[in-house]
Amino acid sequence: MIITGKNFTPHRIAFYAGIIVIWQIISMVGVWPDNIFPSPYEVAEDLAYSAADGSLFYGIATSMWRLSIGLAIAISGGVVLGIFMARVEVINQTVGSLVLGLQSIPSIAWVPLAILWFGLTDVGIIFVTAIGAIFAVTINTYTGVKNIDPHYIEAARNMGAKGTQLITAVLIPAAFPYMISGFKQGWAFAWRGVIGAELLFSFLGLGFLLNAGRSLNDVSQVISIMIVIMVIGLVIDTVVFKKLENKVMSKWGLQ
Amino acid sequence: MTKLEAKNIVKHFSHESHKLTALGGINLKVEAGDFVCLVGPSGCGKSTFLRIIAGLEKPDEGQIIFDGHPVTETSPERIMVFQEGALFPWLKVQDNVEFGLKMAGIPKEERAKISNRYLDMMQLTKFANSYTYQLSTGMKQRVAIARALVMDPDVLLMDEPFASLDAQTRDLLLVEMQLIWEKTKKTILFVTHNVAEATVLGTKIAVFSNRPSIIKKEFENNSPRPRITEDESLLKLQQDILAELRPEVKKSRE
Repeated sequence: MIITGKNFTPHRIAFYAGIIVIWQIISMVGVWPDNIFPSPYEVAEDLAYSAADGSLFYGIATSMWRLSIGLAIAISGGVVLGIFMARVEVINQTVGSLVLGLQSIPSIAWVPLAILWFGLTDVGIIFVTAIGAIFAVTINTYTGVKNIDPHYIEAARNMGAKGTQLITAVLIPAAFPYMISGFKQGWAFAWRGVIGAELLFSFLGLGFLLNAGRSLNDVSQVISIMIVIMVIGLVIDTVVFKKLENKVMSKWGLQ
Repeated sequence: MTKLEAKNIVKHFSHESHKLTALGGINLKVEAGDFVCLVGPSGCGKSTFLRIIAGLEKPDEGQIIFDGHPVTETSPERIMVFQEGALFPWLKVQDNVEFGLKMAGIPKEERAKISNRYLDMMQLTKFANSYTYQLSTGMKQRVAIARALVMDPDVLLMDEPFASLDAQTRDLLLVEMQLIWEKTKKTILFVTHNVAEATVLGTKIAVFSNRPSIIKKEFENNSPRPRITEDESLLKLQQDILAELRPEVKKSRE
């Protein structure tokens, strides 16, 4: 991982402060006009405006809502599909090969189909988000279940675990360290997917705000929204997934 | 009363292109309360035989009769203790021990009552809230045994459970195993490659031949308990067993 240890080390703070200072200097020197290369102050100002009139938070909420639904569908669907692929050879040979193929399609390439099928709606964006993420979850779950020590499954069956009990009490917890990697990848794909879809659907959300900034020739808005997208990504990566990963790793004694 | 009977158990394995016969017709009668130790050269199929009794594998020929009925699938009546314990690393010790009870739908308070008894018996109470990676190999085997006993199985199937323990820990567990057997009156089948261990534990010792294996000879063992590996009364028996075993081990290496 790129981000390890404490979040606010002196080095890190100095680094970001340095970037802002250099950015400010470049904009003050006036190599490019303000409307092409705004200063950090102008970007911050723009951020403050959109925060004040609520459009920023509405955009964040919209994107996060679509992301959550899409990711939830991707995770639940991917886990089920992955388990079936790992446990039923026929499904692996048939559906499994298709999953590998579909995984190579970038989320954004689903957009035309989503628009034709669902129109310019939330459902269309959620579809793109979910389908972009589901196969990463599927493949990691499959790998996780395939790598379970067969003795765990035998011991569980021997002690009376059957059917769904075996899945929830053994297969899922035993494969969980792998599944977390799948969730992380799935989240990363979903985040890219939702922003990309919103750009093209141009229907609310952070992606829409980016596109709106472009159509208004407002570079500050474009940059400020990009920063917001980056920060949200970073926060979810470190706060949600890194924590979850650490918890599981320490529980298993893998750390 | 006959608890378990193996009738002409045959098992083949395909190894690369050729077929390998591991079990060449095993016949064995186990009475209720017997402590049967199975010894034999490595690779002779002792563990496979145990897995067939557990219902985790199907024989190619023959059948296991358990309480008068043929074994068709795995069941908590015949609980296996695996060589490496096969404890679940995502569960705490107590939850590992309660696993089978939970699968059987027994409510939480009752599970705790039962598991506490066996945690106490295996001197694990202090470790109830530990995860398994925090335990030594010996402790892990104790948990595995507790997890099996909690199911109150008719037959306990133990697959070289002490093979990876150091000598001191093994001696300790050999004593405890005898106490458990006396206390619980379980029927036990215990696979080992260690003849001394077999004579300490077993009321009956069955010697497997080299592949395709059959049971070459059975020994009765009525020495007084508790026994330890160095007991002089066991020496003669150990020598007799080794005399049967040695040529088989030699054949297995040819």
